[in-house]
Amino acid sequence: MSKYKLIILRHGEGAWNKENRFCSWVDQKLNSDGLEEAWNCGRQLKALNFEFDLVFTSVLNRSIHTAWLILKDQVPVESSWRLNERHYGALIGLNWEKMALNHGEEQVRVWRRSYNMTPPPTEESHPYYHEIYSDCRYKVCDMALDQLPRSESLKEVLERLLPYWNERIAPEVLKGKTVMLSAHGNSSRALLKHLEGISDEDIINITLPTGVLILLELDKKLRAVGPHQFLGDQKAIRDTIKKVDGQVKVKQGKK
Amino acid sequence: MSKYKLIILRHGEGSWNKENRFYSWVDQKLNSDGLEEAQNCGKQLKALNFEFDLVFTSVPNRFIHTAWLILEELGQEWMPVESSWHLNEHLYGASIGLNWETMALNHDEEQVRIWRRSYNVTLPPTGESHPYCHEISDSRYKVCGVTLDQLLRSEILKEVLERLLPYWNERIAPEVLKGKIVVISAHGNSSRALLKRLEGISNEDIINITLPTGVPILLELDENLHALGPHQFLGDQEAIRVAIKKVEDQGKVKQVKK
Repeated sequence: MSKYKLIILRHGEGAWNKENRFCSWVDQKLNSDGLEEAWNCGRQLKALNFEFDLVFTSVLNRSIHTAWLILKDQVPVESSWRLNERHYGALIGLNWEKMALNHGEEQVRVWRRSYNMTPPPTEESHPYYHEIYSDCRYKVCDMALDQLPRSESLKEVLERLLPYWNERIAPEVLKGKTVMLSAHGNSSRALLKHLEGISDEDIINITLPTGVLILLELDKKLRAVGPHQFLGDQKAIRDTIKKVDGQVKVKQGKK
Repeated sequence: MSKYKLIILRHGEGSWNKENRFYSWVDQKLNSDGLEEAQNCGKQLKALNFEFDLVFTSVPNRFIHTAWLILEELGQEWMPVESSWHLNEHLYGASIGLNWETMALNHDEEQVRIWRRSYNVTLPPTGESHPYCHEISDSRYKVCGVTLDQLLRSEILKEVLERLLPYWNERIAPEVLKGKIVVISAHGNSSRALLKRLEGISNEDIINITLPTGVPILLELDENLHALGPHQFLGDQEAIRVAIKKVEDQGKVKQVKK
């Protein structure tokens, strides 16, 4: 029986989502569609009478801006690198469609969605290496800069996210606080896998659209009482999921 | 020698600042000038290469939005922001919502200046029938234990300092002593109260201290968190003098109406 409700949100669309590029830890802003998605979420939450006590975000500004746009009144917002998007290593900045041409659609799908596959790590020569690691937000984390990931599988995302869930977020939920996580596609999938008990094989099929509210009902031990639910126009959401899934398909004309 | 730096910021302009009305705890949004002030403040701090560790704000939205806009300019949206009613503006009692210029016509300019700026002079309290009573007796104050009686009072600046100090001592000062560079996004009077304390400004002199909106104020502190010198406004000094005069003139009756 459901005792707690948790809202998870994959941030609104950014320029690189539209360009089908691995954004990862690069700090891209929301684009105009992403802003609109965030405002729509805010309106939806208001219509559903959701009032949050606490919001958790990653340290990437697209997740923070999404939260800011949704919150109309002051609600404490806490940011942690442990909710960051999956670190895609050397794939950061690359376009999925071109990669699908070079490596095949299935390979790209596995890279994006699988549980255990770690992409090659990012090196100092990577065009976005210094943009990421010289930013002061990574000097004040609870992990030393040189220990922060240089590439991750989804499994590794969950390993760095879980201590934060257990130590910061779960205790607040257990106190009865209404909590929202404004996070990313893969950090959200990792957490859903853990809470819903989704298998390593099935997680590859879970797609989360941008800017759509996800409700997870939890029992007293913070295990999901059923699958996550998308809130909103279900047909529109199915279309959006199809769009996200279709991002790695090579357009027929180019094959 | 300066051991610590503190930045204090009076929030950007809201519509009631422009209308010369006692804002107090009424939760008005920033107007377009206020948005611009906050963004300019952020750009200025960026140009001065300030890097912060922590932001404290009061509870009404315009303070939080000011902080968010500044952090956005600095590319530091991830920075922790903590809000507390202890940093809220002076509770102005029955004067909430009233226009200073109209009051100056009825009570004279010097009286209004004393009400706005002095340390010990109280305005009449408000009551449940006040037009803004329900707006300020908001659920966010119930969760932090502020009672309706407290909300209906009128505070003197001395009392603003008395309720701000425990928060300074228990939450903000320890962070400063750890070497963190802290920004406090607050209101004119809560900022003045804190500056009075840290700079040792007398009860008589505090009436002459005016803080313009959206201008970062730097205070350099010694190892005991006492100010090493007077607060400094950062930015174009001529523009700041004009902004200060604008705030000071808000309580004056315009000549043509006299």
